[in-house]
Amino acid sequence: MDPAATASLSGELPLPSVQGAAASYCVDLSVDASVLPAVPPSVAEAEAARTGHEEEENAAIRLVHLLVTCANDIQAGDYAAATGNLAEARLALGTTVSTATGIGRVTSHFAAALGQRLSRASPSDSGAAPVAASSAEHTGELYRQFYEAGPFLKFAHFTANQAILEAFEGCDRVHVLDCAIMQGAQWPALIQSLSLRPGGPPALRITGIGPPPAADGSRDELNEVGVRLTEFARAVNVPFSFCGVRGDTIDPIQAWMFKLVPGEALAVNSICQLHRLLVDDVDPNSVAAFFPEPIHTVLCWITSMQPRVFTIFEQEADHNNPALVERFTNALFYYGALFDSMEAMSTHRRTNTTGGLGGEAYLQREIFDIVCGEGSGRVERHEPLNVWHGRLWRAGLAQTPLGPSAIRRAAGLLRSLCGAGYRVQERGDFLTLAWHDRPLFTASVWHAPPTNNVINRLFELLMGEPEAQPTEGEPEAQATEI
Amino acid sequence: MCMGGPPAPPRQEENEPVLEVRVQLLGGGGAHNINDNADILSEILARLDGRSLAAAAGVCRLWAAVSRRDAVWEELCLRHVGPASGPAAAGHATRTVVAALGGYRRLYRLCLGPALDRLGRAGALAHAQARERLSLSLSLSLFSIDCYERLGGAGGGGAAGRQQPPSSLLFLCKPVDVS
Repeated sequence: MDPAATASLSGELPLPSVQGAAASYCVDLSVDASVLPAVPPSVAEAEAARTGHEEEENAAIRLVHLLVTCANDIQAGDYAAATGNLAEARLALGTTVSTATGIGRVTSHFAAALGQRLSRASPSDSGAAPVAASSAEHTGELYRQFYEAGPFLKFAHFTANQAILEAFEGCDRVHVLDCAIMQGAQWPALIQSLSLRPGGPPALRITGIGPPPAADGSRDELNEVGVRLTEFARAVNVPFSFCGVRGDTIDPIQAWMFKLVPGEALAVNSICQLHRLLVDDVDPNSVAAFFPEPIHTVLCWITSMQPRVFTIFEQEADHNNPALVERFTNALFYYGALFDSMEAMSTHRRTNTTGGLGGEAYLQREIFDIVCGEGSGRVERHEPLNVWHGRLWRAGLAQTPLGPSAIRRAAGLLRSLCGAGYRVQERGDFLTLAWHDRPLFTASVWHAPPTNNVINRLFELLMGEPEAQPTEGEPEAQATEI
Repeated sequence: MCMGGPPAPPRQEENEPVLEVRVQLLGGGGAHNINDNADILSEILARLDGRSLAAAAGVCRLWAAVSRRDAVWEELCLRHVGPASGPAAAGHATRTVVAALGGYRRLYRLCLGPALDRLGRAGALAHAQARERLSLSLSLSLFSIDCYERLGGAGGGGAAGRQQPPSSLLFLCKPVDVS
């Protein structure tokens, strides 16, 4: 068959044809040019993809700009303009920017938060439904989802446990105080490490602060956690006892409630709790100025108990600015990075994400609190590490240097938990968990220096506080690649 | 797994009896079968990698029984942990604790095995350093959390989540049950 005819009929390029017995190959080049595409397919597709990608990026940038302008309007008191901007943003979220992934997912939460804030300001606006008030059980469930969705809490528990283990070396009776025990997931690993300690396990006592039992009396989480930890400790032969202290917040708590025993080594553990104690700056001329701030009260009784180790884990962000726009912008980029990292992790695990990201609801609560909460209504008052450093130092605590293997072990943990992207940064004696150079959380270890160092302490106070080790962006932060 | 030739004698306590056995075996005269001695079989299976060992459980009843011995999985686990785990890693105390938490077989299935797979996937360079990076203490920590969550399942709480396999380790592997 004539190759040219074949080509024009089927639109394909002619194949080499065998002609006659000589089996000579010939390619007929007289093909109708119109059947060939003008540009090779792969190049055209790449071009289309790139334009589409650019359009998406532009849409996302426009959306972020709209939301920030809306926040600006709210701060200025111009609710009408704010409502307009928000409506436009919502429209974009419904159409040009996908809410299932990436920037769309996190901005949809911020848009909803702005909506709630506006609906409270001007009741005529039918904004988003408010975040449902929740029971302690619901909070616990969300916390558990967040625990599984990312390496953050596991990193916190692991680094804190390592520090506690090191501080307890050589001690026979040890006491751990957990400022918010939740489901107690941090402690099995510590109990197991203590049971395998050379020289045998010490007598361990854990005191956990937790919410009071549910009003309907159905479940007592704190009690259940105590029972499980006791059972676990019995299985691995560690002498153990558990004590629960009930309270919704930690500031009304007093040191005598922990029944401290002299001769016991004490560890205090706080995972994302200290920032809840911060309050807005008080007017120095008001009556409120006479009362100590909750954070000072708490740090005071912690220091008075002379803990051998005080492990702290906090978000590495500045979300405590009284100005809404500052908070909003900082939070948008912070949670954007956080969601990004969690998405990468769920893709890495190839789990089903149709129901939304695990841990999304937990973070949504934080976002709503940061955007909508004012005054005593806001608890998520994240502050960067240099601020915490100053505050803790002034309270009389001293930082414990990290061991040389701390960063290596932390990097090993991240490697086994998740794929590339997470980094561990060591800045001075702080250990920061970062997503692609964007710091997310910081762990640090402190202790109360002995009280007979009063003269040294006065001297330090007179000379001014030491500088927090390298601030953001300094090249001295050593990042370890995973 | 290669099945050529008779197995080597396990221990050389005295030369004479060993020589005798060897002569007997090499002489090819006799029905010495790998299945004759469960302990010898155990020694051999203990040298396999994880996947092969799991597959060995499907060969016959004897192999299934032997490959379920925790000691076999213990050897496999200890072979893969880094030198940083120290002499304590092989001790009696560790064995007791691991047994209390669920056994070495479960430890491998849930923690070490998937971690090794992940390191293997990460590429040749990572694999070369795999031994240093796999830490027994880290695996034990993760294993403890698994055991703790299972305790929660046995206890109170009617939440649906409790009856599922411990979810905090689902990220390590898909829950394919080989038990």
